[in-house]
Amino acid sequence: MTAKTADGKEVYKTERHYHTQATDCRTNKMLYGAQVKTQYIRDTALQPFETKAETFEIFLPAGVRTVDVTVSLRYEINKPANFIEIYKVERKVSLDR
Amino acid sequence: MKFLKSLVVVFLVMIPISAFGEKAKTIEELAAMYDSARCKECHAEIYARWENSHHARSLMGVQDGLMMTPLAIKGLTPFSPDDPAQATLATFPCFKCHLPQALVAADDAFAADYAKALVAQDKARVSKLRITCIVCHNTKAIIHRLSEGPPEADVLYGSKDVAAHDDEFFKKIKKGSIMDHAIMCGQCHGLGPNLEFENPVQCATLYGSYEHNYISKGGTQQCQECHMKKVDGFADHLIAPNWNDLEGTKKILLDTITMDVQTVGYDWLLKSKDWKPMVVVNTKINQNAGHRIPDG
Repeated sequence: MTAKTADGKEVYKTERHYHTQATDCRTNKMLYGAQVKTQYIRDTALQPFETKAETFEIFLPAGVRTVDVTVSLRYEINKPANFIEIYKVERKVSLDR
Repeated sequence: MKFLKSLVVVFLVMIPISAFGEKAKTIEELAAMYDSARCKECHAEIYARWENSHHARSLMGVQDGLMMTPLAIKGLTPFSPDDPAQATLATFPCFKCHLPQALVAADDAFAADYAKALVAQDKARVSKLRITCIVCHNTKAIIHRLSEGPPEADVLYGSKDVAAHDDEFFKKIKKGSIMDHAIMCGQCHGLGPNLEFENPVQCATLYGSYEHNYISKGGTQQCQECHMKKVDGFADHLIAPNWNDLEGTKKILLDTITMDVQTVGYDWLLKSKDWKPMVVVNTKINQNAGHRIPDG
């Protein structure tokens, strides 16, 4: 998720990762690969019959009253650069009326 | 000699492994033993869908990554041999699901041949090894072996009995007890760590998620109801998603996952006259699958 000013300057960027996370139980290093994983230590995946709700609070820099917010939900395949973008929602959000 | 070679290949294709004493020693031998190409003569629609499925390229990985390669290279996994020529069936715990026929119809020479092909990144050869019709409709079709006996050599198991099946070797179709149940898929799309190996292996946990986090919340559907819906009158043996088809997979994800985004901007007040300009973004993501996403 990002928030940018009208001239394209990024004022906020964050990510949430929804998936199981595993180690080999011999160290605390997270591992990928079935042949080395042993046990999940955390599961942030999307679960059936459950809503994954997030709240992002973005404090804007002085003088910024309007930002373009982009929320992108992606399914990554093997590596971060290889993904399917499921949804991309763009909103202009202003503090002024 | 050429004729003899052809004869041997045809012989291997025609004889189901259960009737065949020798174990496969090469990729080509095992591929021939479980070749299902003749099935398409009568089941062209089903075969065509299966050919594009991950079952038809079970050793190729997502987007042809040859995911078992680390197992063949010294030092990369606890299972890896010093030299690919020393590989045995035990080198590849993944065979349990990605190539179950290897465990009943191949020997260590096959494993060494396969390891060498991985090191050479020989995709053409590796791609010959597949979860074919015979694997699901015979080898893996019976789980209640004490009650029902092992799969019969001349029988394929399906969703209904068929007295006469027009095939050289699989002459009958019997209704399998689990063909329409999630546990059929759960044999491989698993429960969690596989502790029977000398080092544990944890691959797919889809069936565990299904049992403990879908059924437990009132879900009632079987895997087949979503992943094998009828296409043109036949159960879809693509068994989507097909991760090599990004557009098709995106459509499935759009059908399965919803995302709601709400935004508001305001001047937030913590203490008197000290307003902080703030934007709040609330997201809600839901999914309607019978298991966690992602899993496999």
